[in-house]
Amino acid sequence: MPELLHRKLERTAIGFVLAIIVAASVGGIVEIAPLFTIDETVENADDMRLYTPLELAGRNIYIREGCYACHSQMIRTLRDDVERYGPFSLAVESRYDHPMLWGSKRTGPDLARVGGKYSDFWHVAHLTNPRDVVPESNMPAYPWLARTPLRLDDLGSHLRTQRSVGVPYTDEMIDNAARDAFGQAVPDSQQASGVTERYGEETQVSAFDGVTTRVTEMDALVAYLQVLGRLTKAAYRNTAAPEQPPNPND
Amino acid sequence: MGQLTTRERELAAAILVALAVVGIAMAAAGRADPLGVHGAIVLLYSMVLLFLIMSTSFGPAPDPSRVSRYYDDPIKVGVAFTLFWAIFGMFFGVWAAAQLAWPSLNFDTAWASFGRIRPAHTTGVIFGFGGNALISTSFHVVQRTSRARLPDQLSPWFVLFGYNLFCILAVTGYFIGVTQSKEYAEAEWYADLWLVIVWVTYFVLYIRTLARRREPHIYVANWYYMAFILVVAILHIINNLTIPVSLGHAKSYTIWAGVQDSMVQWWYGHNAVAFFLTAGFLAMLYYYLPKRAERPIFSYRLSILSFWGITFFYMWAGSHHLHYTALPHWVQNLGMTFSVMLLVPSWASAGNALLTLNGAWHKVRDDATLRFIMMAAFFYGLSTFEGSFLAVRPVNSLSHYTDWTVGHVHAGALGWVALITYGSLYTLVPAIWKRERMYSAALVEVHFWLAFAGTVIYVFAMWNSGIIQGLMWRTYTEEGTLSYSFVDSLLAMYPYYIARAFGGLLFLIGAVVATYNIWMTVRGVPVAGGERHDDIPLAGPLPEGAATRPAE
Amino acid sequence: MDLTHETLVEAAKTWGLFYLIGFSLCVLVYTFWPANRERFDRAKRNILDEDDQPWT
Ligand code: HEM
Ligand code: HEM
Repeated sequence: MPELLHRKLERTAIGFVLAIIVAASVGGIVEIAPLFTIDETVENADDMRLYTPLELAGRNIYIREGCYACHSQMIRTLRDDVERYGPFSLAVESRYDHPMLWGSKRTGPDLARVGGKYSDFWHVAHLTNPRDVVPESNMPAYPWLARTPLRLDDLGSHLRTQRSVGVPYTDEMIDNAARDAFGQAVPDSQQASGVTERYGEETQVSAFDGVTTRVTEMDALVAYLQVLGRLTKAAYRNTAAPEQPPNPND
Repeated sequence: MGQLTTRERELAAAILVALAVVGIAMAAAGRADPLGVHGAIVLLYSMVLLFLIMSTSFGPAPDPSRVSRYYDDPIKVGVAFTLFWAIFGMFFGVWAAAQLAWPSLNFDTAWASFGRIRPAHTTGVIFGFGGNALISTSFHVVQRTSRARLPDQLSPWFVLFGYNLFCILAVTGYFIGVTQSKEYAEAEWYADLWLVIVWVTYFVLYIRTLARRREPHIYVANWYYMAFILVVAILHIINNLTIPVSLGHAKSYTIWAGVQDSMVQWWYGHNAVAFFLTAGFLAMLYYYLPKRAERPIFSYRLSILSFWGITFFYMWAGSHHLHYTALPHWVQNLGMTFSVMLLVPSWASAGNALLTLNGAWHKVRDDATLRFIMMAAFFYGLSTFEGSFLAVRPVNSLSHYTDWTVGHVHAGALGWVALITYGSLYTLVPAIWKRERMYSAALVEVHFWLAFAGTVIYVFAMWNSGIIQGLMWRTYTEEGTLSYSFVDSLLAMYPYYIARAFGGLLFLIGAVVATYNIWMTVRGVPVAGGERHDDIPLAGPLPEGAATRPAE
Repeated sequence: MDLTHETLVEAAKTWGLFYLIGFSLCVLVYTFWPANRERFDRAKRNILDEDDQPWT
């Protein structure tokens, strides 16, 4: 590219490129940089636990199927949002979410606190054919989830990668990832106790899809749905009142 | 590709062999993973191209006089890609729209379920259709306004085919479950890396062409293309910083988490709108509008002011996608303020375009192509006004999460992006294929009305459904409880979902008509004598007046 | 230096404003600089030339 550096005209082009970069980058830097110091101002959540391997696998299925395209996971600070879905979402609740799944469209309802709202059985029926439980629904059916075995062998590397982006999984968790995933979906197995030891007593161990002979993608997805909003209780301790939306009926 | 020199052919073959090897490596490392499928696709793609290169490599040496002409072959292929992706992407849009009204239309197959074809739609239209249109027109505009030929004959092909490989990897990935879930950046890490290589080549090619220019001043359309190329590179790299699970996995985890991720994502997302769907298409506007209307732009200075305004303000506005969320309050307010200020440069651009046509309205009446461009400017003004309005927090509290956003998106996407693209294509196609005019002016007219009606139906349906939905969610009974369940609000949506699918279908039919018309134009006879009077090399007989220009 | 959230936010808010003003001044000066006028006028009209070949 010597022709590029030597001619006088080219200086215009290069200068121009620099001007664009300068003009364009400041806005982003100003807004994004301070967010990396946010830990100081964010709410505290000492009780925050991590996703179990099974839940993480379920989260990846949620991503794969594009559930985020129709369901948000972000309850806004508005009164009607809070009354419909529960306490508004706090920053700390998605602290370990790589990526975040806040969503931008509610073709279906918000799922940020759906955990524990319905039974496992309901979820399995709903995912297999939504119109069996909600006749008016336009959600797609996911019948293949219950038929497809979950891939367990690489869960350890998933946890390890999560750790390299900042999620504090321990060596023990990484080494036992596949066992824990199995144990969480098969309550009577000997692997089951390890899950609560490593991830806390509140962890739900259950035959999510109703079948205990094998672990399917349905197990993983339901496990994930059941933990949504239940990694920490911080949101229930937060006492700030929700904002009033400009309500035409007021 | 007939104009490639032997050296360029060798280089192309070497690149393709290297790519094929990468494909084999991916297929091997990802045997147990969707990555393997993508390896096979990469391999196949490079083999097909290699075959094409080889089969022409024994042809005659390229005509030495080619350097005194513009290099338009890649543009022709780019136009074909644009038309293909338009139909592909809009077909998936119509299908997705139909699934929301009749959910069984996915036939219970995994690959066709809504969550997977929706990103296929958005990627197909934004990156496939929009991206190819931007690349093709930018090659045309930069050569014409610089009065210079592209500096070499290999890199334009590399950019074009490389870019389409990215699109193919992205779209096929969604069908087999490969996605990062970041809106408008769903493609996984290896496709993203590949796009970086392609994009750097594109940037260098653009700068080198500008460096060869014979005009001292860089015409403003090129500014917009430059901003598009540069800023998209920055956005793409930062938003897609991820760590793959392993080299044999398609899956990766982004380094950003939670609230930071949300800000990075929407800083990206909003500026993808700004620099992909706005800046690049404004470049088309500033070139093809004056060309088609045969009138200079109303105010060149205004176009400069609005250029810097857009470049500067847009980058601050991303946080309006996160109103009332866990993002700190001050960032939300900053985003809102800048979004409102954005209206000034946006309307300056739209106004500049419409004022250019002032005094030439009879042309707009008679020429459907010009009407496409005019309507695009109008919808640009409309959707930016709407955007600034939606960015105001109380308004957003109603509109966010509803179909109103989708209505806004498509007022921009159909009304602005697609209309300006077709207007530009109808100007570009006869010019580079040396045809007197399009095959059928009547079909252009038909396309215009299909597109216009489709857009209006789509947008009105979504405005209605969005506002109804938003109001139902927040309606309280006398006793102070919520009046409607979520399902109540869903039920109210069905008529609008059907209307939207119908509007989209009209738009899709319009795209098919356009493709047919362009196809027939290309097949038709060139202008008598083989060359348009304005495309003869310098040595040939010049029409009056043309000879006096190059002297400056 | 201790980068706390507060200092960063402060800096972002104040310098952002100065930057905005400075930037717009530069752009305005460039656009309305009298010597540039002729250039812009030429650019505006030149693209309409029906002269479809590279200049040599
Ligand atoms: C034939 C015409 C089209 C139809 C029927 C159509 C239909 C759709 C549908 C059904 C959705 C999903 C909305 C939802 O989730 O509720 C969508 C989303 C989207 N479409 Fe289209 N579309 C069309 C053309 C286009 C074009 C030409 C573009 C861009 C150039 C475009 C860009 C988008 C974008 C960006 C989204 C995502 C919106 C969001 O996330 O809020 N569409 N479209
Ligand atoms: C001044 C210009 C504009 C402003 C201030 C603006 C503002 C906004 C706002 C406030 C939203 C809603 C965010 C939410 O509630 O989720 C939005 C969404 C969107 N706008 Fe615009 N807009 C502008 C122009 C445009 C144009 C010209 C286009 C398109 C071609 C466009 C495409 C989109 C898309 C694709 C989304 C959907 C993002 C998503 O949720 O997936 N915007 N815009």
